[in-house]
Amino acid sequence: MNISYKWLKQYVDLPDSLTPEELAHALTMSTVEVEGIHHQANAFEHMVVGVIVRIKKHENADALKVCDVDIGSEVVQIVCGGSNVREGMKVVVAKIGARVQWHGEGELVELKPVKIRGVESVGMICGADEIGLLDMFPKSEEKEILDVSKLKVKAGTPLATALGFDDVVIEVDNKSINHRPDLWGHYGIAREVAARYRKKFPSYTVPEIKEGSDSKLRVSIENAGDSMKYTAVMMDGIVIGPSPENIQQRLRAVGIRPVNNIVDITNYVMCDLGQPMHAFDTSKVKSQKSKVDIQVRRAKAGEKLTTLDQKERILDESMIVIADAEKVIALAGVMGGQDTEITNATTSIIFEAAHFNPISIRKTSTTLGLRSDSSARFEKSLDPHNCMYALKRAVELVYEICPTARVVSSVAEKGKVSVFKGPITISKSFIDTKMGMVVSTKECVRILESLGFGVKVVGKKDDEVLKIEVPTWRGTKDITIAEDIVEEIARMYGYDNIETKLPVFAITPPQRNELRFIERSVRTTLSRERGFTETLNYSFVSPQSLQLLELDPISHLELDNPIASDRPYLRRSLLPNMLELVERNSHTHDEVGVYEIGKVFIPEDPGPRESESGDNLLPRQDTMLGIAYAKKGDETPFFVVADALRSVGARLGIELYIDPAVTGLSYVHAGRYAKVMAHADHVGEVFELHPKTAQEYGMAGRVAYAEINLRALSELFRTVNTTYRPLSMYPPVERDIAFMVDSSILHRDVHEILTAIDPLIVSAVLFDVFEGKNIPKGKKSMAYRLTYQSNERTLETKEIDEVQKKIEKFLHERFHAEIRE
Amino acid sequence: MIEKLEQIKKEAREASNNSSSLEELELVRERFFSRKSGEFTVLAKGMKDLSDNERKKIGQKMNEVKSEIEAFFDHKKNEFEMKVWEAIAVTEAIDVTQPKLPTPGHGHQHPMTIVHTELEELFTSMGFTVLDGPELESEYYNFDALNIPGTHPARDSQDTFFIKNHPEWVMRTHTSPVQVRAMQKYGAPLRAVVSGRCFRNESTDASHEHTFYQMEGIVIDRHISIAHLIGVMKELLRGVLRKDVEVRLRPGYFPFVEPGFELDMKCLVCGGAGCGACKHSGWIETLPCGLVHPKVIEAGGLDPVEWTGFAFGLGSMRLCMQKYGIEDIRHLHGGNLSFLEQF
Repeated sequence: MNISYKWLKQYVDLPDSLTPEELAHALTMSTVEVEGIHHQANAFEHMVVGVIVRIKKHENADALKVCDVDIGSEVVQIVCGGSNVREGMKVVVAKIGARVQWHGEGELVELKPVKIRGVESVGMICGADEIGLLDMFPKSEEKEILDVSKLKVKAGTPLATALGFDDVVIEVDNKSINHRPDLWGHYGIAREVAARYRKKFPSYTVPEIKEGSDSKLRVSIENAGDSMKYTAVMMDGIVIGPSPENIQQRLRAVGIRPVNNIVDITNYVMCDLGQPMHAFDTSKVKSQKSKVDIQVRRAKAGEKLTTLDQKERILDESMIVIADAEKVIALAGVMGGQDTEITNATTSIIFEAAHFNPISIRKTSTTLGLRSDSSARFEKSLDPHNCMYALKRAVELVYEICPTARVVSSVAEKGKVSVFKGPITISKSFIDTKMGMVVSTKECVRILESLGFGVKVVGKKDDEVLKIEVPTWRGTKDITIAEDIVEEIARMYGYDNIETKLPVFAITPPQRNELRFIERSVRTTLSRERGFTETLNYSFVSPQSLQLLELDPISHLELDNPIASDRPYLRRSLLPNMLELVERNSHTHDEVGVYEIGKVFIPEDPGPRESESGDNLLPRQDTMLGIAYAKKGDETPFFVVADALRSVGARLGIELYIDPAVTGLSYVHAGRYAKVMAHADHVGEVFELHPKTAQEYGMAGRVAYAEINLRALSELFRTVNTTYRPLSMYPPVERDIAFMVDSSILHRDVHEILTAIDPLIVSAVLFDVFEGKNIPKGKKSMAYRLTYQSNERTLETKEIDEVQKKIEKFLHERFHAEIRE
Repeated sequence: MIEKLEQIKKEAREASNNSSSLEELELVRERFFSRKSGEFTVLAKGMKDLSDNERKKIGQKMNEVKSEIEAFFDHKKNEFEMKVWEAIAVTEAIDVTQPKLPTPGHGHQHPMTIVHTELEELFTSMGFTVLDGPELESEYYNFDALNIPGTHPARDSQDTFFIKNHPEWVMRTHTSPVQVRAMQKYGAPLRAVVSGRCFRNESTDASHEHTFYQMEGIVIDRHISIAHLIGVMKELLRGVLRKDVEVRLRPGYFPFVEPGFELDMKCLVCGGAGCGACKHSGWIETLPCGLVHPKVIEAGGLDPVEWTGFAFGLGSMRLCMQKYGIEDIRHLHGGNLSFLEQF
């Protein structure tokens, strides 16, 4: 919203020494956020009114004229191509240094002395479009220059002064006044300014309306909840024309284009008081024997209205409309209808100033995608008491501007107003505690009263209580509790004046977040030890992804209103988006090793509570770890991912077992699939993507993937107890053993036996697996390095030999292993 | 015999001095000491023909000469070996700037993770507990409990993702629901921070994302004041930025705090003079904050007369972008390894 500095000064006597910048800063610190300050005159720097003294022909160009122009301080020569230029004419002269827009297009250009076809030209005689004034001075012909002969000013007068462009516009961030219905007009902002600078603030005085009786105007409100107040009055003898310059100037300053006197008055009152108004052309409103019935009612489903912006709107029953006896004439609080619009032929008008239900207005404007200055205000819960003030001010302005006009009806007023008025009772000590300092009772009272609150102080000194009455313009929703009152005092006292303090807390260590601890351990292991890169994918997945993996969309939660229909489903697994990521990167990177830690959504499993009291539960949302790996030429990426998992477990002190399992999942390579177990708990899966699925994703090589549940790990982690094993004083002995077995024999089973068969064996490490040359088909060669050690003695060759023999025998019996020498 | 010995000694010295390599020196050694035909060996074999008395005398001399000759050889050998050690500076020189091949890959953490970890560690050091909450929330926790009534614009579908067939569920629009969950679970006094993923139904461009991250904190205790809030925020910023910063507090509106503030920090780029980074205002909007609304404390199951508190939010995604100079927010979820590998 734009605030005119001059307009504010109408209500508050601000010292001349105060700059608009200082005022803007004060507003930002106490009331609203100021986004920018614009000096109107800046755009017209180095521009003056000039008088054309003499016109000569240009020797080298027929279309150009050489003008001697009096610009006050001197007479300068300017070459001009204007079609209407004549001697004695007052024109706008842009002097050297002024910034203009050539032919009304493109960037602003700074003027420099030039020669035009050989003739010197010092400055420029401007067309309206070249200085951004086309709105104010429409052109009737392309080559026309702006004729300002009507202005009663001397040559050399700065253009900004001549046109009254000497205002400063303060741009307020609308978001910062969403909760303040009283600040949507100059009067409301002025109240804050007056309070801030301790200035007197006038009440809003308007003359009573002298009612007429030639016409009857009746108003009815169908639903009391739709409108707390509707006021209207009819005026005849209207002559439509431009409004006076002072009104036009103010409207332009705040960014509203002047239209005609009546429309300008409604806009002026809105910007003044914050109360939107509307004017209907009486002749277009259904009347019977000079009787007009105005209804505030709900639209009928399918009812139509062409609004002022010339668009036909189809209405529904949730929308409040203004109607006459037979048709809708306005979309209440949002926009008027085109049929009853004020035109140059209008002679009689009906003014409306009303209050409408803010929620309904917002809903209507959202549904129709139609926002207006009016709807933006109504949806903030305006003070219904302002309606009558606005109506009176509008009538007063009509009388001023249009002497032939007169009120011909009584003032119609309907509605039941209910606004919170307090009192709010608040102890002085409460204010002191909340602020963290003591502000005198006198100062508290002064601040509150300057903002329009009524304050009564009761009780003894040091135990005072403030009884506070809330003004109507703050009571519609803004001020409800004691804390709101503290805010009023604190912000006007000045947050900068509050001395900061640090609270005193007990020295207690914060509780550790186990899940976060595990997440960090995982990240360190994967990123710092294993060379994986962390990613963050969206929580939403696409139907195409689900289809590629043959996953059922029904099992997924779905967004009601996705951004675009491309990702409507909530992920149950990190896999789908991760595969897309691997695919994208596989074209530019030979090796892709990535992981993500993120939440998934499982609708059928119970999660956190929906509320503290009820029994309803949200879906389960566990934090998962997904790891993906693909490398050009690596035919078994499974091992890389499985190994990464083992490291993750080892770092946490939880052994993660890879447990071969059967799967029916179509996207999984059935020969390369395993469950991930932690103790007896199934915590995840590791597998390779089925090569067919990988191909469908557009990936040439193999992709391995694992996903484990970190929440489940965090629960196991609580029981982890890492202990130290004393070192043996006796030397270890290493022996290798190699043998050939069926390819189907599992390392896990062999390893289990090797480590359990004799207490002298402290470790068995697989160091080679070989298939192919010299090994029969269906067989593989395995080689382990066994470490023998005792805590009691140095081992002798003989006893180790015996154990080796025992092992050979056992491997042969159990796995039909053939020992290789 | 003695003369002969002297002669051999002389020749051995000359021969060793004249040898030009370790190999040549070895040949010289062979010439004098080879088992069968070494000149010294042959002479030594002649010892057996001498008388006892002479043998004793000559033998002594012979041993002396032998050690002397060996000393020549050792000296010369040592000389050669020293040369070899000196030569490896050239013969064994490597390109010390070359990486190990094949180069082992390095892993990377996501920049958001780095920022969150730093912040969480800071808060932990200040006695805050780090909490998490559900990303799919109930309307109750996301809105009602935070004093955002059903008619509030924030509850429009243009701002919030709703879940099909579950009108009472939303994708959380902020981390604030955890404020109430935390009070319900841990009671008071409470010091906690929450970081995590939030969602807003808005189109994505270079500076907007429908999926973003927040970090927020809550303190619940007795007699918490505006003065405390400003004090803690200053300390917090000092911890984050590792320097003293000037801050200012101005009014800001959020339904779950009363009063609510926007806390600005004096621009670190221009020192408050005004520059592009602070939109020429001299201040950077940094932390929305406020005293916890009594209705929110009540929703947390606490008595708002006894318990008070403050809450603050940190746009950790914007912080991350500032920290690394990331110009386009879409990089953060873009999953492009060329981007991620820079962190």
